[in-house]
Amino acid sequence: MKSSLLLCVALAVSSGLILVAGDPQDSENKEHVLVNNKCQCVTVTSKFVPSKENPDEEILERNIRILVPLKARENISDPMSPLRTTFVYRMTELCKKCNPVEIELGGEIYQAQQSTSCNEPETCYTYNRDKCYTTTFPFIYHGETRDVKAVLTPASCYAD
Amino acid sequence: MTLLAFTFLLAFLPTESASSKYLPKAAISSPVFGPRQVYGLLNGSVTVKCFYPPTSVNRHDRKYWCRESATGCMTIVSTSGYTAPGYKGRASITDDPQAESFQIHISELTMADAGTYQCGVGINSRGLCHKVSLDVSKGPHVPEGAELFYVKLHSTLTMSCSFGKDYESWRKFLCKMEKKGCRNIIDSYGNVDKDYTGRTLLSNEDLPGSFSVVITQMGWEDSGLYLCGVGVYGEKGETKELDVHVYEESHVPQGKPTIIGVKESSVTFECRYDSLKNSSKYWCKWRKNGCARIIDNSGYVSPLYEGRVAMFDNPDNKTITIILNQLKDSDKGYYWCMTDEEKEQQSSTELEIIDGQPGLKGEKDVEVQVGSRVDLTCSYPCKYYSYQKYWCKWGGISCTPMPASDQKQPGPDVTCDTDNKTVILSFDSVTKSDKGWYWCGVKRNGLWGETMAVQLRVTEGRNADHNLDVLNVDNPNPAESGFIPQGRAYSDAGVDSPAASESSDQSPNVSTISAVSVAGAILIILAAAFAVFKYRQLKRSDLVSIGSYRTNISMSDFESGKEYSATNNACVKETQETQIGGDEFVTTAAAPESAAETKKAKRSSKEDADLAYSTFLLTSNSIAQGDARGDSAAPDVSPPNWEG
Repeated sequence: MKSSLLLCVALAVSSGLILVAGDPQDSENKEHVLVNNKCQCVTVTSKFVPSKENPDEEILERNIRILVPLKARENISDPMSPLRTTFVYRMTELCKKCNPVEIELGGEIYQAQQSTSCNEPETCYTYNRDKCYTTTFPFIYHGETRDVKAVLTPASCYAD
Repeated sequence: MTLLAFTFLLAFLPTESASSKYLPKAAISSPVFGPRQVYGLLNGSVTVKCFYPPTSVNRHDRKYWCRESATGCMTIVSTSGYTAPGYKGRASITDDPQAESFQIHISELTMADAGTYQCGVGINSRGLCHKVSLDVSKGPHVPEGAELFYVKLHSTLTMSCSFGKDYESWRKFLCKMEKKGCRNIIDSYGNVDKDYTGRTLLSNEDLPGSFSVVITQMGWEDSGLYLCGVGVYGEKGETKELDVHVYEESHVPQGKPTIIGVKESSVTFECRYDSLKNSSKYWCKWRKNGCARIIDNSGYVSPLYEGRVAMFDNPDNKTITIILNQLKDSDKGYYWCMTDEEKEQQSSTELEIIDGQPGLKGEKDVEVQVGSRVDLTCSYPCKYYSYQKYWCKWGGISCTPMPASDQKQPGPDVTCDTDNKTVILSFDSVTKSDKGWYWCGVKRNGLWGETMAVQLRVTEGRNADHNLDVLNVDNPNPAESGFIPQGRAYSDAGVDSPAASESSDQSPNVSTISAVSVAGAILIILAAAFAVFKYRQLKRSDLVSIGSYRTNISMSDFESGKEYSATNNACVKETQETQIGGDEFVTTAAAPESAAETKKAKRSSKEDADLAYSTFLLTSNSIAQGDARGDSAAPDVSPPNWEG
């Protein structure tokens, strides 16, 4: 019964690729974050681990973790929208880097966009904690119906 | 569907290997931090302090303390007012948003209270929680836990350790716990780990046997358990545990960790300061056993940097700009912006020197006779065409602007290529007081750019003047306390070997004996000047003296060049995440641990509009983004910014 209520399914995928070249200093115990998408609840990390078949070799282990919010609405800002039934995870989009980087050219600093098509809106399956989500709902008071604004994420909506 | 997703994922995964441009795992571990282990006495009490990043949502969100069990983490006490039945009257939780932490206090401890707990922020144990294990013992005394340090990303960590007078002359060290032992970070014998080179300092404190370690530019990899101690780790001496956690508050613009300078040209360093207080600020070059002061805001300039360095204060944006010119290979290294205040942010910057062409050009050593006319020229390349150009006179710690004329031709048909790209500083009649260093530089939008230094030497053509110069300088020096730099500028100019040799060249009429005696006098004066110079240098440079002898340190300290992955992300474990319920998406049935909570209704309201009345109270606030339009309401794409 309880397990049927569980909302998030954690998936861990390990893919083994044989290491071609690597600095042994760097490889040990260092797990790196390749993707940390909080909008769709996906993290991808990778690290080098000793190969089970050949102890002299190290293989790259990649861990993909996806939390699927099964009770999410189609539109997270609209509680009246139907439950989301399709969750699409496009690795190409998740791996896209959209934060600009600073590069130095001839002593001057320029901002460089790391990827194209960064302006397309992204569909989120969960809330951003730092953002306030609101909706409106009909409120009947003394027989009069008014549209009232309501907060979906109270903790994120304080004005300070 | 799952299978489909897998194949999809694997097919598109880029085959890049993990490299330093990716964040380490610690970056996505929980930002909530607290003790890993706490100890309490039977029937006694225990206090646990947990820290969280002080973002707005974190300050207002629910804080909780729960106990791990097979079915999940059962809430014991939370800031929404709930206390679990067995803990009524003996467990309390206090949130202190100002101190970015909350405290849990449990009294009347029983043996059954020993176990694993979590402190956290939010409504579930996903992401924002920290695992704490509680140990209850009969006593008589309980072990002391590690000292906690909650450090903002890229900021500076200062740790103090004290071991008493008995250990005053022992080796002092800081090491980081790793799988293979404790990796030496820095010790009082001058050994510094390569990952910490240039950004750490160990200095003795006033109290005998106590010392402090400063690490700047704290990165994600620096989280973990450290030990500071005296003696040798694992062999002799004493140690103390320091638990360090790095968190990210927001994306603040960061000063660049490395600056590249072209030889002969100049570089500009920016130092940020937190407080507006008029504290002593200085800039120094890092060495293994101290930081050698170069310039400070009280007026001191290291004699070695005469005419090369200047400090400009910009109180508006709480920064200090430091310009270093006439770069040479030996300037390569790490430079620190320091303040005397403990809490201030210190920063370190690495300077690399490369070969190349300086942008600004001109004659760098100009010698003229008193009364003659001289033009100091400075030609600039097209990249500085739109910049503001200036000439200034170097003195003290700054550079005083001088009126100069830009030879730029006005008019629409003049382009950079055809224009005369020169700025000239003219002296109609040079006087003795005009000698010294002059800087030509460029500036844009208030930011200081490249500079070029020109040394102007003024001669009178007579031999005796040089000697007078030197004497004049030497006599008043000891009495002068605050104004050494200016005086030294002159002494430098006078003592300089070209000046000295030139003086002997210009005395053809003097007999050999007098020539010898003059040479001897010059030598003595030179020696005296040098002695004073050295003495000053020793006195003024900010050296932290540390034993200079070396000893054997077991090589295991150095072998381990890797990190422990942060272990405090334990509560993000996959198994738990599936077990723990209580999620934002719960509508009707709450999670096991939260079922008993009075706040259930409020939490469920997130999806149910008819329950939104409680939140309706908040509507008077200026809430933007209220429109419930389709996908356009999806948050912006900036994953690293998000908390939790």
